[in-house]
Amino acid sequence: MFKRPSARRKGKNREIVLNLVPILDAMVTLIAFLLFTMAFVALVSTESPFPQTSREDVQQKLKERPLQLTVSLREKETRIWSPFEKIKTHVVPNTTASTGENVPDYKSIHETLIEIKKQFPNENKIVLVPFAAAPYEILIGIMDAMRVLEQTDPPLFRKNPATGNDEPMKALFPDVVFGNLLGDG
Amino acid sequence: MSRKNRKRIQSAFDLQLTSMMDVLVIILVFLLKSYAASTNAFNTVSGIQLPISASPEVPPDSLQVIVTPEGITFENERIIEFVQTEAAVGSKDATYTFRRSDLDEGGRRVVGLFDALTKAREKSEFLRAKSKARDKEGKPLPFDGVLAIQADKRINYDTIRRIMYTAATAGYKMFRFLAVKRDM
Repeated sequence: MFKRPSARRKGKNREIVLNLVPILDAMVTLIAFLLFTMAFVALVSTESPFPQTSREDVQQKLKERPLQLTVSLREKETRIWSPFEKIKTHVVPNTTASTGENVPDYKSIHETLIEIKKQFPNENKIVLVPFAAAPYEILIGIMDAMRVLEQTDPPLFRKNPATGNDEPMKALFPDVVFGNLLGDG
Repeated sequence: MSRKNRKRIQSAFDLQLTSMMDVLVIILVFLLKSYAASTNAFNTVSGIQLPISASPEVPPDSLQVIVTPEGITFENERIIEFVQTEAAVGSKDATYTFRRSDLDEGGRRVVGLFDALTKAREKSEFLRAKSKARDKEGKPLPFDGVLAIQADKRINYDTIRRIMYTAATAGYKMFRFLAVKRDM
């Protein structure tokens, strides 16, 4: 007669069913929390300080005659110039956007600024003088053209005085200051 | 009930949760990955049309002013209501103007905004004085004076300029212009 199979072995083969319900509960709560708190619109920013000048600063500037690169936005054109005539004045006429609106030619402005940056690689400041009716969209667009170096732009290098090595620049003219905050224009 | 029938009913209620778990894990991973990129908590208002920017800088949290063709909102409170001009009716362009009583200093300063910004600065300075955080000399940390400006793309520079001037007179010296990140 055969022996009866052991009950212990039978128990080992029994399937263990994991209780997933509490894990599911936790996951649903987490997903709900993340959906509720996350920002779906990714915002970016462009910084600009309020310009502060003293009489000493003005005297210093008159003495040093820096580049003081200035971009003047007009209704039909954009002028890129230096008050101390360090560069030739560039006038970039506006272009028509795909929406039919009259907008500054961001691409030409950007290309002109790249050429100026090649001449003055250590210059970071730029003065923006928009006209009073310039919409916020144009301000953001022109600031991007002045500050951001695109991947398609030619690489620009600047010598690091500490190491003596040429290092790639990360931005074009990152320090934007508004030139007519007190009026006129 | 016979033993056979009882077994059939029990197996009918045996829900397969594994595939559902797989889906939820994928959603969770996706959300956690997107969550890391959105660290700021800037609110916005309905109907605002933000411009698109190629700037790579993600703005840290700060006080913010929201400007729409309807008015100015500071920290979720509507401070200034613009007056809609006749040309605004049916126009896609924002045509609005300040009430004369809302401006002073020759039209440069926005009175209601100045009051709100000053109050916010004083509150921030008070909290910093109470805080245990100190600088190297043991003094309370100075007020950072940063103001984020979230404006509708139709808002003109004249309005932005007034807001910046008002903020500067209230002790804010750095401005962050917010826009929607351009898709790369």
